Formats: sequence, structure tokens, C-alpha cells
Amino acid sequence: MQKVDDFSMELNFTEAYRKNKDKHIAIREARCHQAQFPAVLTEILENDRLAGRTVWGWVGFSPHNAPGGAAYGYFCHDQKIIEAIERGNIPMDQRDGVHEMLHFWKKETSKAKVEAAFTQKMLPILFRDEIVSLPYNFKPMIAQPIYRMAGVFVDYEKLLRLGIPGLIFEINDYMHKSEASGGDYQLYEGMLIALNVFIDSCSHYERQAIQKANAATDPKRKQELRKLAEVLGKNAVAKPGSFYEALQLSWLYTLICGSLELGRVDIYLGDFYCHDIDNGIITEEEALSLMHSYWRLINELFRDVDGRVIIGGRGRRNEKNADRFAFLVLETMRTYGRAILPQTTLRFYDGMNPELMEKSISLIGDGHTFPLLYNDDVLVPGVAQAHDVPTEVAEQYMPLGCGEIVIDHMGFGTPSGSLNVLKALDVTLRDGIDHISGKRLGLPTGDLKDFKTFDEFFSAFKKQLAFFIEILADHEDLEYVESGKQAPYLYLSMLYDDCLARGKAIFSGGIRYLGGSLESFGSVNAADSLTAIKKMVFDKKLISADRLVAALDNNFNGYAKEHKLLKECPKYGNDDHYADSIMVELHDFMCNNIRDQRERTNLDWYLNVLINNKQNTILGRWVGASADGRKAGREMANANTPAGGNDKKGVTALINSLVKPSHKIHAGTVQNMRFGRDFFTSDRENFEVILDTYFKKGGAQAMITVINRGDLEKALVEPEKHKDLFVRIGGFSSRYIDLPRDVQLEILSRVTY
Amino acid sequence: MSETAIVFDIQRASIHDGPGIRTTVFLKGCLLDCLWCHNPEAVSAKPQLFFHFDKCTQCGDCAKVCEEDVHHFIDGKHTIDFEKCSLCGKCVEACNYNALKIIGKELSIDEVMREVMADFDFYSNSGGGITLSGGEPLLQFSFSMELLQRCKEMGVSTCVETSGYVSEVHLWEILPVVDILLFDYKISRSDEHRNYTGVPNDSILRNLDIAYDTGIPIILRCPVVPGISDTEHHFKSIRALDEKYPNLKGIEILPYHNIGNNKRTSIGTHETLADLNSTSPEVAAQWLEQLKELGCVKARIG
Ligand code: SF4
Ligand code: SF4
Repeated sequence: MQKVDDFSMELNFTEAYRKNKDKHIAIREARCHQAQFPAVLTEILENDRLAGRTVWGWVGFSPHNAPGGAAYGYFCHDQKIIEAIERGNIPMDQRDGVHEMLHFWKKETSKAKVEAAFTQKMLPILFRDEIVSLPYNFKPMIAQPIYRMAGVFVDYEKLLRLGIPGLIFEINDYMHKSEASGGDYQLYEGMLIALNVFIDSCSHYERQAIQKANAATDPKRKQELRKLAEVLGKNAVAKPGSFYEALQLSWLYTLICGSLELGRVDIYLGDFYCHDIDNGIITEEEALSLMHSYWRLINELFRDVDGRVIIGGRGRRNEKNADRFAFLVLETMRTYGRAILPQTTLRFYDGMNPELMEKSISLIGDGHTFPLLYNDDVLVPGVAQAHDVPTEVAEQYMPLGCGEIVIDHMGFGTPSGSLNVLKALDVTLRDGIDHISGKRLGLPTGDLKDFKTFDEFFSAFKKQLAFFIEILADHEDLEYVESGKQAPYLYLSMLYDDCLARGKAIFSGGIRYLGGSLESFGSVNAADSLTAIKKMVFDKKLISADRLVAALDNNFNGYAKEHKLLKECPKYGNDDHYADSIMVELHDFMCNNIRDQRERTNLDWYLNVLINNKQNTILGRWVGASADGRKAGREMANANTPAGGNDKKGVTALINSLVKPSHKIHAGTVQNMRFGRDFFTSDRENFEVILDTYFKKGGAQAMITVINRGDLEKALVEPEKHKDLFVRIGGFSSRYIDLPRDVQLEILSRVTY
Repeated sequence: MSETAIVFDIQRASIHDGPGIRTTVFLKGCLLDCLWCHNPEAVSAKPQLFFHFDKCTQCGDCAKVCEEDVHHFIDGKHTIDFEKCSLCGKCVEACNYNALKIIGKELSIDEVMREVMADFDFYSNSGGGITLSGGEPLLQFSFSMELLQRCKEMGVSTCVETSGYVSEVHLWEILPVVDILLFDYKISRSDEHRNYTGVPNDSILRNLDIAYDTGIPIILRCPVVPGISDTEHHFKSIRALDEKYPNLKGIEILPYHNIGNNKRTSIGTHETLADLNSTSPEVAAQWLEQLKELGCVKARIG
């Protein structure tokens, strides 16, 4: 929806903050929520069966769910406000206030607070306000801070068990005890105000639903809106007594608390759903209709990298009911049609109802990108070790957004920094200097030609990486400390263990586990580049160090021979020991070094993640040509996936490579695999064996997609990047790019989506 | 010294050459020359130059390094005198666009085994294993024999795909180390067989008899080529074999695909069946239907 340039909410919000500037941070935050909600909640739209839409202001408070580029704590989206000023559509009586507001937040936003607290070591390395939001980075960077409190998974079970009144009751109780014992009772007071804001928001929507029901002409819609009003009315005064009430409450809470994740819906909604179905309170059809509305809201309000709906897996107290709900989720996906959200995630383990996996595979075969598959048999022990938590806790692991693993309502771990591994290699070749800007970005460790052995060179690279990792870890630590100083994140603190009992806010010692993660990008290209450097410069000596750097500086123009030799070097993803062992060494070094940062910081864990998102493209833009044959500025490989479809030996070799790097030392990787449609139909049995073998061999995760028209079309344009596409032709399979043009086109014409 | 063979490809994760997930090892050399062959580069027993004309940019680098005067550029067209090539590999190295390669590489049993064993876990979970194909794998008999023996020792199940046009003795000797035999059945009438493949089929059918009598599971593989072998008569003969050999493990029809044609020009031989299009899935389904109607219940599309 188009935002009108009315800044009354933002001005009220700013005023609330100012007025309470010297009050307890919980009171201040609560008053700000009051200014924000229901003001940013927007209308129930035609066909909505659930209430809860937002258009966030350009100033506000939210851990994560706020306008992109500003989404962290107290935020102020300078750019958007300036754009509005430029448009000249701000009401006269607000203009001075808007200018003043812009000035006021400059030092007060949560991001500004963290930046103001940068240490001497961070200052020259981490960019501050000078960059505009992604994807418009205009500077080559190695380490970049990320501002957001991502991966909110509140205790939905508790929320639904107690309802808002029950929560108020419990918090009230804590408040009195705290007050009596001279504790920080105002934290609870703030929570109670925030819960009242929540109740107001329910009532706001209840009134709206009644008005809309009265105005509706279609009797069916009238009926639906009346029902919705009733549900909202109930949410305000009682704990949920039906599936509908539970779904509505959880949705509105998700939105208001600023989360972008939905969590283990099968656990927290399963019992309600089964009860209502079994007792004839709701029909399957009605439940599905509500789920469609839920799906639509998620699709319209959340960003494509967020929105995790998690089903299946270990640690579900109500497994039978949860399974039934999980089937409803899959049925919702099927009937809703292919969509980019939610990122439905199937956790599975040996012994779980196999039908869940079967149905999931069929959906993928029909062209859905979801569910993403997570292997609990590998991940539960993996998380227990990586995050250093007991198994029962590890069972509640949650992949957030792009795949960073945190713990349901017990452990937070926002990724607060990203590391461009390939860029770090870029500067290691050139004594720490970035050849694009001519500026120093890394440590002076010498030029490539100065190294006598490959090992010496690799060590220098590790030294560079370690330097940036330390800074990013310190930054994560600092971000929490400053967040905690500025706000208690009330809606989170009341539903995260053990904040209420400890009487402390989530980032101020309340939460049980406070961790973090570092998003690393370009590791696969870096590993392949190292392999090529080792082979060409040090082992075979076919390309001299100077010549290699010259070839890279010139983006291989005039160096076709070198380019060919480099491209032909072994690549990760082909079960080739030479290449894979370098990938493993780099992976181990990165993961272990990052994991060791918890010794230096206050973090309970700090872990590497290798994930999918657009950063591989955005960050790749400022990386010069690399020794793996990648051209300057081009995207880097996603997550742990072989670069540019370099896995040309087929899926079994790919899998053998994928399972080599350990899964016990990081907080999430994403493994992308593409299969032809036949694998889901005529060759399904073999496909299931391949997948099963992958998971038995230690595969942790799989993101499987069916090869579609788009893939084949791209392969026609850039065959070099699609060496991994195998297609079936008559009685055999062949690599798509190796086929003659007419055959390629013929195959393309047969692909339906 | 361990045996070696001229191998033209090793395809991992293969699912069309026998049950489960397999690694198919393609050996060069075949005594037949079927019009519809989709691996014409497998026919010659020797390595040979292969030109990927789609990829050539006509840069001329190959001509500069070739000492045998193989590469010519006439009227903006890169032509190749395949006969003269001594397989020195210089042009392959010189070409920066991967337009040239040499098909067929001499590999030892150890080298092949290393690749085969890498996917062992996939075989055991799927009932897969190695498939020896070609060309005609039995032509490089001692290599094939030893390779399959090694596989059996390692617990890898074995398939061999044969044209059947091989020495009776070799066939008989190798069967004990083969778990499943994929046996081609191309044309029913012997004279027609000779026309289309270059050899009659009498000895092939005799070999099928021999193999069947040993009790080894056999999958009959029948390439079906429109206008040649999609005839009622041929389908009936397939059915007749089905009746004659009630214990056949399966009958697969392999619908014609014209991919072999491009490859023929790439190795300097002439196109065959140039006007014949690949079979559509609908037509293949009709064939299957016809076979089923004749009572061939085991038939499926391979
Ligand atoms: S070197 Fe390669 S691209 Fe150049 S003319 Fe020869 S075959 Fe064509
Ligand atoms: S392989 Fe050697 S002889 Fe054959 S075409 Fe190439 S350069 Fe000439």
C-alpha cells in the first residue's frame, strides 16, 4: 500500500520517546508501542479471514519487522523521510516537526547507539552510516555489520496456553513480588502496558470487523466478518478456546512483536486444530480457508528471506496432533499454489511418519520450492555440539530466515555481521590492498609472489580472516549490550525463557542463551580459487604468481589460456579429493575460529552460517576476478553449493562432496540441489534413495528444486554456469549444456514450468 | 600389469542402465554400426578427435598448433580432416573454448574402480552397482572380466549391456560375474538386421539362448526406431521372445532419439536418418500400449 506522507504517527512516537526519555526504558518502550499500535495496523482486506496487516512508519520500534534498511530497534528511515520532504506532500503543520524528528533520531536510533560505541579496532573496518542500504553498497567491503534482531521465535505455546489475560496475570504476579523485594519491577510494568496495547489492537480490529460486517452485502462475507470480530473479542479477554482463536492470536502477536518467523506451528496449533476437527467445531474446509488467509498475509507482509513455518521433527510433545497439523500445512501449500512464502520447513528423523516426507517430495516435484528439508538425526546432535546445549534443548532448534539456527524461545542468535570471504582472498593476493579502490582493506601480509609455499599463502589468508572474524564477533557482542541498554524488547522478553523469572530483559541477562552468527559468503569460490592457486602457481607452476594476478587484474582479458587452465582446475562438488580437501580445510578453519570467539566475548555461541540469500550477488559485485575462473563483479556461489554449477559429475559425486565439511561446528548451511522432473515421477524410487543416502551419509539439509524452464533458458545463455543440469533424454541422461542446440530447444519445449 | 581399456565415459548417478543408482562405464569399440546409434563415438575402438562445432569461435588457434594439417577454414567454416589426426592433443589444449576434445582415454582397472567405489553407499541403498556398457564391453574382454571380478569381490552388483554380437566363449565365461545382463534386441529379421546394423542376428539370438539357459536375469533392451522397428511384425517378435523366455526380468523399449546425428558430424562420419525426429513421449506410450496388447506385460519404457 502506498504510504501517504502523513507523519502523525511518527511524530507521536517521537514525542512519546522524548517525554519518557529519562524514565525506565521499559516504560519508555511501552509508551512508544502505544503510539505505534494500532496506528500502524492497517485494514482488514477483502477475503482476509484473519486480522493483522501493517504498514510500518518511517520511525518506530521493532526488532526486525520494520521497513527494510531500518529494521532494528528504534529506527528512523532517513532516506524515506527525506524523499517525503522532497515530494512536498507533508501537511504544513507537521513540517517543522518532521525536520526536527529527523535530527532527533540521528543520535537516538538503536543503530546510532551501536555505532557510537564502536571500539578503536572496529572504526577503520566496519562501515558506518556512510553506506546506503542493500543492494546498493557502493564500496568494496570485507566485513559488514548487519543491524536487526532477526530470528524471533517467541513461546507461542505459552502464549496460547495462557492467552493475554493469563500472561497479564503471571506478569502481575512477578511485578508484585519484584516490587516487594526491591527488584526491577518497572520492567514488568512496561510489559503490562505493552499487553494493554495488544488488547487495544485486538479491540481495534474487532470494531473494524463489526463495521465491515455491517457494511458487507454478501451474506457469506458478513458471516465471516462477524465470526472474525467474535474471535478478536475473545482474544482480548480470554485464552484461545478454538483453532481460529489460536491462529488469530498467534498471527497478531507475531506481527506486533515484530517477528518475521512463525515457528513450530504444528506443535502450538496442532492440539487446537485436532480438537476442533474431532469435535465438529470446524470443518477441514474451514480450517483450510483460514490457512489460506494466513498464507496470503505471510506472502504479502513478510520478506522472501524470512517467514519460517516449521513442521515435523524431534521434540514435539504432541507428535500425533502435530503431524495432523503438518499435513494441513502441506495441503495448504498444495492448494494455495506455488508461492515464495512461507519458507515451509520440514524437520524429519528416522521414525517419523514417512508420509510427511512423501507428501513434501511430491510438492517439490510439482515445482514448489518448499518444504526445505532438515535432517534432525544430524542436526540435533550437531546443534547440541555446535551451540553447546543439552540434547533436549537442541531438539528445539529453529532455522530462521535464510537458515541460521537458533533455539525456540530459549536462545537468540541474530546474524549481525557478514564476511566476504572471497574479498578477503582478493586482498590477500595483494598485500591487503583492494585493487579496485586502491585502498587498504586488510592486513599487510605480502603479495602472492612473496609466498614460497602454498601453505604459507593459506596461512596468510587465515590470518586475514581471523582478523575480521574477531571484529565481527565483538560487534555482535556490542550490538546486544547496546540494545539491552536502550530497550527491553518487551514483547520478546515476556515470551522468552527465562526473562520473567530472572526479572531481566532479553538482551540484558534475561534470556537463557544469547548467541550469534556470522554470515559468510563466497567460501566456495574462495576454496576453488585456493585450489587453482595451489595447482597452477605452486604445484604445477604453469602460471606464475605475477601472471595470475595480472590475469585477475585484467578480468582474464588477454589471458584466455590462463582462464581456461584455471577453469579446468578441480572444483568443489565433484567428489574430487584435491578440491574438496581445501574446501574442508577452509570450512574447518572458519567454523572453528568463529566458534572460538565465545571465549573472547559474552556470547553463549557464535557460529558460522553458510546460507542462501542475495548477498552472494550483492557482495560479489565488488570482488575482482577470482582464481577459480569467476569474472569480476559476478555473483559468488550460494551457501555451500558448488560455484556456477561446477558439480558436473552428477548428484552422487555432489553429495559425496557436500557431506565432507562437518556439521557440528556451524549454525546452518543450505545445500541446493536440482533434479529433473522425472525424478519425482517415473524415477521417484531412485530419487528417494538418493535423498535417503545423502541424509544417512550425514547430509544436514537440502533445498531441492525441480529443474524448470527458467533454469534451462539460463543455461542456454550462460552454459558455463549450468554444468550441473542433467536432463533425461529417451533412455539416458545427459548434461544439458553438452547437448546440441536443437536437442536443447526440444527439451526446453517440453518443460511445463 | 593390470589391464587397461579405452573408456569413453564414466557416468555416475546413472539410473537408466539397470536397477537402482549405478555407475555406467562406457568402453569404446563395437562391431555393429546401427543406423540409429546414439553413441556413434563409441563405435571405433580407438580414441578419436571430437569437434563440438557449436562452441567453435573460429579463432584459428587449433590450426596454428596442429602439425598434421587437420584444421581448415574454408568460406568461414571450420572443417576438419579427421583422417589425418594423430591424436597428439595439441589443438585440444590450444582451444580456449573447449570446442575440441579427444574421446576415449586409456584407463586402468584401478582408476575405474576408484571412481566406481566412490558411490558404494548409493548402490547398497538402491540395489544399484556398476553397469558395463559401450560400445560393446565384451570386446575388451580381459579388462571387462577383471573389472567385474573386482566389483564382485567388493560387493558391487554388476550389469553388462551387450549387443550380443560377441564370442560365445567370452559370453559364457563372463556370465558368472554378471548379476544382470542387459541384452539388446534390435531387429527381428536377420537380413534386415544386417542392413541396419551391418551384421546378421543369428549368432546374437544364439547367444541370447546360451545366456538364458544359464539362468542369469536378463533385461531385453529394444531400441525402437520409427519406420524401421516400430512394426507390428517386430513387436510380435518381441512378444515371441517374451513367451520363449518366460523368466526374462524385463523388456525395455528405448525410443529413438536423434542425438547421435550431431555427434556423427563431430567425429567426421556421415549423418544417418537425418530427417528422422526424436520420438515423442506420446508415440512411445503408444508403442508400449501395442506391446501390452500383444501380451507383453513386462514391457516398459527404458
Ligand atoms: S581453437 Fe577452438 S574455437 Fe578456435 S578455431 Fe579451433 S576449435 Fe574453433
Ligand atoms: S590432435 Fe594433434 S593432430 Fe589431431 S588435430 Fe589436434 S593438433 Fe592436429
